[in-house]
Parts: sequence; structure tokens; C-alpha cells
Amino acid sequence: MKVPVSWLREYVAVEMPLTELVERLSVASAEVEGIERRGVPDVDGNLGFFRVGRVLEAGKHPNADRLQLCQVDVGEGEPRQIVCGAWNFGPGATVAVALPGAVLANGVKLEAAELRGQLSNGMILAEDEVELGTDHTGIMVLPDEWEPGTPLTDALPLAEDILLVESTGNRPDLMAIYGIAREVAALYDLELSPPPGRDPGVAGDEPVDVRVEDFEGCPRYIGRLFRDVRVGPSPAWLRTRLSDAGMRPISNVVDVTNYVMLALGNPLHAFDLATLKEGRIVVRRAHKGEQLRTLDGELRELEPTDLMIADAARSVALAGIMGGEETEITESTTDVLLEAANFEPYTIFRTSERLRLRTEGSNRWEKGVDPHLAPQAAALATQLIVELAGARWTGKVDVHGDLPARPVVRFRPERADDLVGLETPAEEQHARLRRLGFEVDDGSVSVPTWRARDVTREVDVVEEVARFRLGDVPFTFPLRRAMFGRLTRDQRLRRRVEDILTGLGFSEVYTPSLVEEDPDPGALRLREPITVELAVLRTALLPSLVEAARRNLELGNERIELFEVARVYEPSGGPLPVERLHLAAIMEHGYARAKGVADALAGALKAELRFTAAPHPLLHPARAARTGAGIVGELHPTRLDGEWGVLELDLGLLFEGVREPVVYEDVIGYPVVRQELAFVVDVDVPAGELFAAALAAAAPELREVRFLSDYREPPIPAGKKSIAFSVAFQSPERTLTDEDAAALRVRVIEALERDFGAELRG
Amino acid sequence: MSKNREPATVAAVDAAALEQEALAAVAAASTPAELTALRTRYLGRKSELKQALRNVRDRETGMTLNAVRERLEDAFARREADLDRSELDRALSSDGFDVTLPGEELPVGQLHPTTQVRRIVEDTFLGLGYEIRDDREVETVEYNFDKLAFPPTHSSRSPRDTFFLADDVVLRTETSPSQIHHLEAREPPVYMVSIGRVYRRDAITPTRFPIFHQFEGLAVDRGITLADLKGTLLHVMRALFGDDRRVRFRTHYFPFTEPSIEPDVSCGVCGGTGCRTCKFTGWIELGGAGMVDPRVFENVGVDPEEWSGFAFGCGPERAAQLRFGISEIRPLWSTDLRVLRQF
Repeated sequence: MKVPVSWLREYVAVEMPLTELVERLSVASAEVEGIERRGVPDVDGNLGFFRVGRVLEAGKHPNADRLQLCQVDVGEGEPRQIVCGAWNFGPGATVAVALPGAVLANGVKLEAAELRGQLSNGMILAEDEVELGTDHTGIMVLPDEWEPGTPLTDALPLAEDILLVESTGNRPDLMAIYGIAREVAALYDLELSPPPGRDPGVAGDEPVDVRVEDFEGCPRYIGRLFRDVRVGPSPAWLRTRLSDAGMRPISNVVDVTNYVMLALGNPLHAFDLATLKEGRIVVRRAHKGEQLRTLDGELRELEPTDLMIADAARSVALAGIMGGEETEITESTTDVLLEAANFEPYTIFRTSERLRLRTEGSNRWEKGVDPHLAPQAAALATQLIVELAGARWTGKVDVHGDLPARPVVRFRPERADDLVGLETPAEEQHARLRRLGFEVDDGSVSVPTWRARDVTREVDVVEEVARFRLGDVPFTFPLRRAMFGRLTRDQRLRRRVEDILTGLGFSEVYTPSLVEEDPDPGALRLREPITVELAVLRTALLPSLVEAARRNLELGNERIELFEVARVYEPSGGPLPVERLHLAAIMEHGYARAKGVADALAGALKAELRFTAAPHPLLHPARAARTGAGIVGELHPTRLDGEWGVLELDLGLLFEGVREPVVYEDVIGYPVVRQELAFVVDVDVPAGELFAAALAAAAPELREVRFLSDYREPPIPAGKKSIAFSVAFQSPERTLTDEDAAALRVRVIEALERDFGAELRG
Repeated sequence: MSKNREPATVAAVDAAALEQEALAAVAAASTPAELTALRTRYLGRKSELKQALRNVRDRETGMTLNAVRERLEDAFARREADLDRSELDRALSSDGFDVTLPGEELPVGQLHPTTQVRRIVEDTFLGLGYEIRDDREVETVEYNFDKLAFPPTHSSRSPRDTFFLADDVVLRTETSPSQIHHLEAREPPVYMVSIGRVYRRDAITPTRFPIFHQFEGLAVDRGITLADLKGTLLHVMRALFGDDRRVRFRTHYFPFTEPSIEPDVSCGVCGGTGCRTCKFTGWIELGGAGMVDPRVFENVGVDPEEWSGFAFGCGPERAAQLRFGISEIRPLWSTDLRVLRQF
């Protein structure tokens, strides 16, 4: 909230530098996001150039019909001659004067000047010139009690520093100037003024008909009647207060309710009594099908969970959130029913949520306003309505059920020390709590009512003590004795995957897990996405990477090789999807590159990937492979210009196939025998299966199979192909003889002939 | 540098002087031809040395002169090799080769800045003895809010702030549900960090994106203090941003910690004196933290009188922004290689 410092000063003596106050409030109480400055610059004695003046003479300027020539007493003995363009005053008026040398709110420095041949030795001010308002139709006329020559800052807030305080949800008490003053007083050990507002005498004994049917939603309702109310604009000070605090002045009665809310934190509402059927207030839940047109002009459909303020016939306000259009205060209102109530947070929250209607009032209620605050708020409002609207206060009622007592909480100062890791003498802890309104007993504290929702346990009291000394808390480490840290196998392997891919030249990207459309029609959808592009939880990463590649292509970037490691969300049939960690990559150079990357990954991880041809809607129909962990292939040419290799692997599945630890095989003890073989097979026999069969047939001596060529020209007959590969035979136990090698070779030849009808080429 | 000298008479040979002279001449020879001429002069059949050797009468003089001859031959051989090498190098250098031309273009990719930060965080906490967790992102309301002691009126429970998939299923709004999963699976003491994506229903702006990452730390042990939290966060911030950083705590409110604080790290741009980056406060907000609320302990069956703990959450994107000087969030979700190749 916006906290004008001069308002704060009404309750506590703020004399410290504001930057220091901001720092301490931010650390101990609520973040101050900045200081806003309103009005004329308060530097270099500028405020000294502004005085209260009294107009001694005023008459038409001899050379200009639209100007007045005035003699103004500004307490200097001799009056000053001032030329003025406004006509809303005459001799005797008390006015605000800026002397030559003054810098106005717009930064212009005032000089003595001749206007149409007459010296103007100052300026009579309108409110916009000091940013007290926007009005420039006339000058400000001040109450006559101000003596000429009085510094104008005594009469008007010429300059204001406004703290932008962002309080947390547990501190509704800090959504009030007085609450912040209480915090400042506690922080600096200063005296706090009693809360503002004292009931004037009640001028009558009219009954106020308030019926609370739902004490759960409305624990308290204070109603007060005012007669002969003169609704009109608020005085300048009140309008300035409200606009400095960020609210728009409306009329005196409404402004008073807002002022009290800002000052004390209890939202109020004022009804035009004449519009209330039978002058009655009923607090109840909405009837099914009931409607209400709220102050903002919207027609609201109500639900039986909504708490309503009704009269004898119908709902007239959404309790705590917004008043109704039909019962609002207007210029012709003469009788007012003032509501100073208390509403239960969840009721207000639920309705405000459903209607998507957040107001200054609902914002406070849903955080939990102290029900003991209502009488104080009623008193301040009553005092001001009587004072500012000339009203007679003629009736009152205070309807409530059992109000919560101050919570009493066990508190051990040594427990605070243990939890904070800093010793604070018990006496000092107690003193601090007392300054915050706690009562301290032996072994327990009683919590002030305005903190009753937040402070209910010992640990909450510990926070109250700790927050004042956060800067003193030392830097230590836990005395850890029974835990150690290490990456899990999957975490370690994930890093390996990331490092292999970056080593191969790939750049890692992050793309949103929410997409516009997913290939899986069952993919989970957000109920209320903020944009159509982020609406569905993806079940695959590849479509996002294809988009990323397309984007790079459009940008003219070269060597496009991208990968991402992220979760996908597979519909499970249950409420929660199955989340799997995937790796996807996209790269130039088509299938061969993608297969190479997959092979490199498998090789580096010591994982086995077996490839089988399998179509996939994203992929080229003939260049699409499936492995136990996912797909590898070439992107379908309709998806993106060029030949793009892609892969998407489930890392969990990939890692299941990782052989750990690696067991060393002796490869240096005995020589290797290398041979080359070529077989003619049907073209649809996958070479990978030939290799696998060869390895199986000559295990364990067949160490390695290397592909050499795939030849399909004459003399190879049509429908056939020749697959050539080299084999390396090696035994860890002995030197293989020529006979051994020949026998192994025969095993390979026989197996391939048997399984694939493969024919050895001569 | 050919000096002509009369051949010395045998009798006059001074072996040491001769050697000195010859070595100096060899060292000064700058072409193979010069070297050949010198070889003839000093080691040729008519050379002073050879003549002297032929006239040697006693064994001692013979040994001395032979030693001189061997050393001179060595010197000639070395010098010859040097001159050959120089000649070869001259030939090799004649093609005007430009060493400043770019080398062969080898592909080197790079980890995303968020991953780089993730690894720093992981390594830092591994060093402190923490485990790393990666939990589900689609959560139940029970784990995302209820068990973390969110009051029913907390604004995060609103579909305005949080993405709902069903009445009781949300995209997690913070990594804190990991605290519950971990404490349900393990008896204290526990030290863990959870890193992953989280989701908030924020409008997309230059500085906000509804999907971002968090790392969440949790330490539960006997005698854990707020001071331990402060020390731990200082250590992490220094690992991320440098050893000159300072850390301060501001009071705050989170449903699942009490006391709650927000840690600030001193601004690295101005060093704490105030600038645009830190909005003239000298401090930069980095997340939320606090002592684990007893209600959370009760929700997972841990006795808050016996155990205490701290928890904190920070944003790797924010850390990456500060570390790499990225003022907006957009580059971190960019797939443009011109952006990515900078990191």
C-alpha cells in the first residue's frame, strides 16, 4: 500500500532518514519497494518560499480584463503586489502564495515579473501547481484561521514522500497506516499515538435494524445511523490524503469510509438509508438465482455460498467486496447507514475468486481483519462524518457473536535462541514482544488481537523476535553427521548425455513444456491457459525442436544442431500423467547423422540400442527406426526443408540398458586376426541383423564387426545386395591359429546362410 | 666471413687456440658451402691439424689432437644439421602461410545457461552433502498446497494464479512439494535439493514467463538453525556469483516456513551502492526461505520438537540472468543459435 509519510507521522515521530526507515522496515516488517515523491521539490529550502497569504485588496488589472491585481499580506510588513488570473476569491481571502525563487511541482522556478505593465511579486496557487489535485479552475482558498506569513507547509502538504509498502499475506495489520506506525514504533522504540477516532456524543437513540443470520460469515456488524448528512466534496486535506494513498476522492461520506480503511485497516461501507427497504440490514447468504448490480455496473449472478448484505427485501451489497448500485451514496443522500463489520476471510475469498472481483475491501478481508477493530473504525468514521458532512449521529448497534479472545501461546526464549542460532537475552525478547502489543507472562505470551490469526504457536512468536535481529544472525553450517551427497545413477548419466551431445557440437535449448497442440489427442489440457500457444502438456519434445530448427533456418543460422532434455507427460488414465525424462535432438545431414549420434551415445554410455525399421508420423517413411528407448530417423520432408536427422529417446529406458560397471577385456595380450567378408542377401534383410547374427555366432572371439559397403549394382542380381564387413577375431586367452580363425569364419558363414540365406561372395 | 690465413707450421700448432678458432668459424658459417670450405681448411688433408697429427711423436699430443679433431667433427656435423634444417624451414616458409586464418571448424556445442546454473547449484550442494531430487511437475492440490500448509485463502490456490488440470490437479507452483515427497520417503536427517520446472499463471512480459525453474533445498536434522540457513545460502550465492558477495535476510511470509525470510544477495553490478539493476537498493532478491513450519513436519509425521529444518527456493533463470547479464527472460527461452552459442 501507499503510505504518505506525513500521515504516518500523525501516529509516530518519524525523524530518522527515510532511506534508513525503508531499509529497516524491509528487513523486519514488510518490503518497501520504493519512495514516491509528490508535490514541490523539498530541497535547498524550497519549502520556505511558500507562505500563507491574506488578500488585502483585489481588483481588475488596469491593462487586462481577465486578470486581478492583488495586494497580499505574506507576513512581511509590506504587502506584495501579485497578478492573478483566478476570480474565485476577493479581499480578505486566505490563500497559498509562492514567492519568487520558489520551484513549483512542475519544476518551473518562479521569478518576479511584469504582467501587462504591473509587477507580480509572487503567485497565488491553484492546487495543481503543488500537485494537491488537478483543479486549475480557481486558486486554493484556505481556512481563515491561518495567519499570513505562516509557512504554507503547516497548512498544506506541499510535498509528500510516499512509501510503497508491499506487506505479506499474513499481515493484514500492515494494510493500514496505523499498523505500519505501530511497526515503526516497535522498530525504533518510539511512542505510538493511540489509534485515531473518538466517538462524539450520539445525538439520539434511534433503533438500527441489523440482523445477522450468519455469524460464521459475519462475526460482527456495527451499524450507525446519520441524519441530515450533507454529501459534498471532501476538504483538501482529505482529498490529498486519499490521492497520496492511491485512491480517488469521491464524496465526503465515501471518502471517510476509504480514509478509515486506509488509516486502520477495517473496510467500511455506507448505505443511503432511504434506499434500504424498511431501513433494515440483514446479513445472510444469497438465495439461489439471486442477482445484484454492483457499484461497477455489473449484474452479478449469486450463489448460496456468497455472503450478502440485504435489506428487508433483497440483497444490496456483496459483503466485504462491493456495494450495490441501488443503495450507494449520492449527492441527494441525506440519511446514511454506516457499516463497520467484520467478515470471515474464506467466505470473502471464495466469492471474490468466483466473481473474479478483487477490491481494496476483499483484499483486506481475505487476509483476516481483527474483529476487535470494528468499534475503532466506527468511531473514527463517525467523528469524521459528523465533522465533515455536518451530520447528526442518531443511532447505533453492535451485533456480534462470541468474539475470539487473545490467543495465549507458550513461549520459551531459549527455544527462540535454539531455532535462530543467536542468543538474545530473555528480557530483550520480552521487551520487543511488548512493543508489538504482546502481553508477556511467565512461560507464555498473549497475542494482540490484530495478530491473532498469524501468531498461534510458539514458532510464530519466535519469528516476531527473530525478525528484528535478522542482520545479527551469524553464518553457520549444519553440523551434519549422518548424510552424504552424491548424484544418482540416472543424474550422473544425464550429465554424461548432455556432455556427449555438447561435445558432438549440439547446443542445448529449453522449450516450453506447454504447447498449442500435441500429436497425442489424449494429452493433458490446462483448464484456463493464458494463451493458446501454452495450452497442452506435451507428450513429445520433437515437435518443439522442429520448430526451433525452423526458426534457426529462417534466421539463416548455420550448422543447426539442437538438443533438449526435459520431461514429457503421458496420459495415464488417472489424474496424474506419467512423467518421463526425454532427450530429443535435431540436426542437419539426415538419417545417417542421427543414427551416428545415437550410436555414439550408446557407445559412450555402454548401452545397447537395437534398431528396427518402424514408421512414425513425424518421420520419413523409409528412414525411421525404433529402438528400445525411442525413435531415430529422418524428419519427414513435408515438415522442414532439407534433410534433418532427429531422435527422441526416453532417458529412463536408455539408462536401463547401460552396462555398469564396464568389465575390462584383455585386448593387448594376444594378436587380432582381421578378415573381410561379403554376403549377398535379399535387399530387405537389415544389415544390422546380419551383424548381430555374426557376433552371436562367433562369440566371444568375434570382438568387432565393421560395416564396409552395401553394393547393389551388377553383377549383384536385382533384388539382392552385397553387404561387406570386416571382422576382428581375438581371444583373451591365447593366440588364435589360422585354423581357429577359419573355424570362426565358418561359424559366421553358416549362421548367416542359415538365418538369412546369405551367400558368401568369393 | 672467410679469413685467409697462412697454414701454420706443425711445430707452431697450439691445439687449444686452433680449436677455438675453428669452433668460432663453424658457428659463424651461414651456408653449407662455407661450411665445406671450413671443413677443408680445418679438417682437410692439408689442414694444420691433420699435418700436426701426422707429425705426432708422443702419445699425449696425439690424444690431445685427436680429441680436438673429434670435437671439431662433431661441431661440423651439428652445424651442418642446423644449416640443413634452416634451409628446409626456409623452403617450408615460402608459401606465405597465414596463421591467423580460422582453423578447421570443429563442432562444439554448449549447455544452456540454466543447465550451467543447475550444475553449479548441484555441485555446490553435493559438496555440502545434499542429495539431488527431480520430482513430478503435475501435482495434486494435496501436495502442492494442503500438505505445505497453504491456508484456504492463499491466492496461489486461485485458478487465476495457478494452472489447474482438474479440481485437484495443478502444475506445481513451486518445487516445495519435493519437501513432502522426500520427507514421506525418508526419515530425518535429510539434506536434499530438488530442481525442476514450475508454473505460474503470470502474463508473459519481457521479464516473466509462466514456465520457469526452481531449486528447492531442504535440511532437516537435530539443531538446525536460521543461522545455518544463512550460512548455507551465503555459500551458494558465492558459488553462483563470486566470493565477494554478501547476503542479507528480510522477513517474509510463506505458508510452509516459520520464520520465513527472503534472501537478498548484494548487487554485483554496483557492489551494493545502488544502481538500476538493484533498483538503487544495493540488493537483489533471490527467492524465499525459512525454517520448516511445524505444520509441515506434522503433515509428514516428523516431531518438530525433536527435529528442525530449513528450506529455501531460488530461481536458476534469475541466477543465470545475473550471472550472464541478461536483463530479460526471453533469451533464456530462445532457441536462436546466435543466443545459445554465447554461453
